Amino acid sequence: MTLERLATAWAVFQGLVVEAMPFLLLGVAIASIARWLNPGGAWLQRLPSHPLGGPLTGAALGFALPACECGNVPVARRLLAGGAPLATALGFLFAAPVLNPIVLASTWAAFPDRPWLLLARPGGALVLSLVLASLLRLLPEAVLLTPALLEERRLSQPLEAVGLLERRGGVIGAAPSAAVPAAPRRPPLGEALGHGVREFNNLALLLVAGSGIAALVQTLLPRSWLLALGSSPTLSILALMLLAVVVSVCSSVDAFLALGFAAQVTPGALLAFLLLGPVVDLKSIGLFGVLLRPRAIALTTAGAALATLLIGQWVNLWKL
Amino acid sequence: MTLLTLLLRPLSLGLWGLVLLYSGLSGRLDLLVRSVFHPLIMGSGLALILLAALEGGRCLRPGTTARQPPPPGRERAALLLSALLALSMLILPPVPSFADLAANRPSGQLEEQELSFVLPPAQRSLSDWARLLRSQPDPALYAGDPVRISGFVLPVPGQPPELARLLVRCCLADATPVGLPVRWPAGQPLPKADQWLALEGVMAIDSAAQPPRSQVIPRRITPIARPRRPFEG
Repeated sequence: MTLERLATAWAVFQGLVVEAMPFLLLGVAIASIARWLNPGGAWLQRLPSHPLGGPLTGAALGFALPACECGNVPVARRLLAGGAPLATALGFLFAAPVLNPIVLASTWAAFPDRPWLLLARPGGALVLSLVLASLLRLLPEAVLLTPALLEERRLSQPLEAVGLLERRGGVIGAAPSAAVPAAPRRPPLGEALGHGVREFNNLALLLVAGSGIAALVQTLLPRSWLLALGSSPTLSILALMLLAVVVSVCSSVDAFLALGFAAQVTPGALLAFLLLGPVVDLKSIGLFGVLLRPRAIALTTAGAALATLLIGQWVNLWKL
Repeated sequence: MTLLTLLLRPLSLGLWGLVLLYSGLSGRLDLLVRSVFHPLIMGSGLALILLAALEGGRCLRPGTTARQPPPPGRERAALLLSALLALSMLILPPVPSFADLAANRPSGQLEEQELSFVLPPAQRSLSDWARLLRSQPDPALYAGDPVRISGFVLPVPGQPPELARLLVRCCLADATPVGLPVRWPAGQPLPKADQWLALEGVMAIDSAAQPPRSQVIPRRITPIARPRRPFEG
């Protein structure tokens, strides 16, 4: 690799980092303020756990807490740590980066001439979040969530929701108690600040690592190779899915990027780019590491890719 | 050592804040991100610095160590690495090669919806011209029009280099080039890739191309420094 190319990769890396960090700060701020205002997170435990209602509620939360894929990870972590049902938290994690006013407005601004996309993008994101939430719910929580998050989550759950072998306290054989641990008092502002600072530092390093990989890959991999496959229905979808994972652009602006090659690719491929990028990309895979174990991340990536490919194929059958 | 360890968290946070703020103040952001995001990035930088100062003050308050232990070994290593990366971003400025970046990307698509009115020829920027030529490609419409544009030299495989600009929707990661064909003066060496030039000349028909296309015939070529805001679009 020439020095010139390395310098270009360094600049692309800096661009990705400085553009994404404000959104990460926004997400951590939302999560920290929510934790400070409602330390017990009692309302989180009252969110629906229904396999369909849960993800739909989580997706609807995206409208209340607009954040792109960098900002929604700390918020989803807060939901899970506060004891929110898996279905709702995962629904939020996967659908909120698309189902929020900022992303929908930018999609409309970029594609006013393609009204079908304005319905297909949020619709597809909803389907994707339902599929992924249903898939991941099949795994036990201990296999799905990272140990640190699981431990925090256990503190917010009623004792009977925790398996016998997973309990850290209680009396074996005692009648299950329906009582949730008493809601903790609101922490001092300084303590909440310290928690937020730790969370931001932790996520910032993961974001930086993901941006570094994304910058290197996209500087070394000629984008024309990917777009050369544009006219073939299935290959174009696969190529644009790969491009979405590599480019790692924030979901609030990815529609404008998609506009750049909309004329060269099939409609299904265009939708696949807009659906997969907000769920899985090189930049955010590192961030997922604070929520999910590696096996769950692999399952998420494979499930999201397969569901996106099927949605893209269906759109190509419909539009071509 | 203990004090430094205790301050690692606010230090790392503050350094990232400084990266964002300094990128804005030094003009680096003009090279990295579209201008609409600049206030958000600089505001976030300021917020991070303020939060780091508050957290630093809290860590130094007597009795804090008892309530909040210093970061354990693994977190300490991560914080050090994060701080080093932030420092290297402060020290090493971005120096992208636009030609190298553009060579890796397909040509940018300019949406025709933006063509709500057409500027007089001499006032059109390079991307205004490219947009116009895509919406109305008939070269006869523009033959003889005065051209005053600037851009960087973009090598095109199998053809003479074009004069180009990068279009950026979000950040450098999504930059795509738009270029205009130029008939470079005969008998002179072709300009070097990535060099910034200002061209004054006229638009003409390139009949050798199939189909015929518009081409800039420069009357004056002036090497210029890279503009402070090099992106268009």
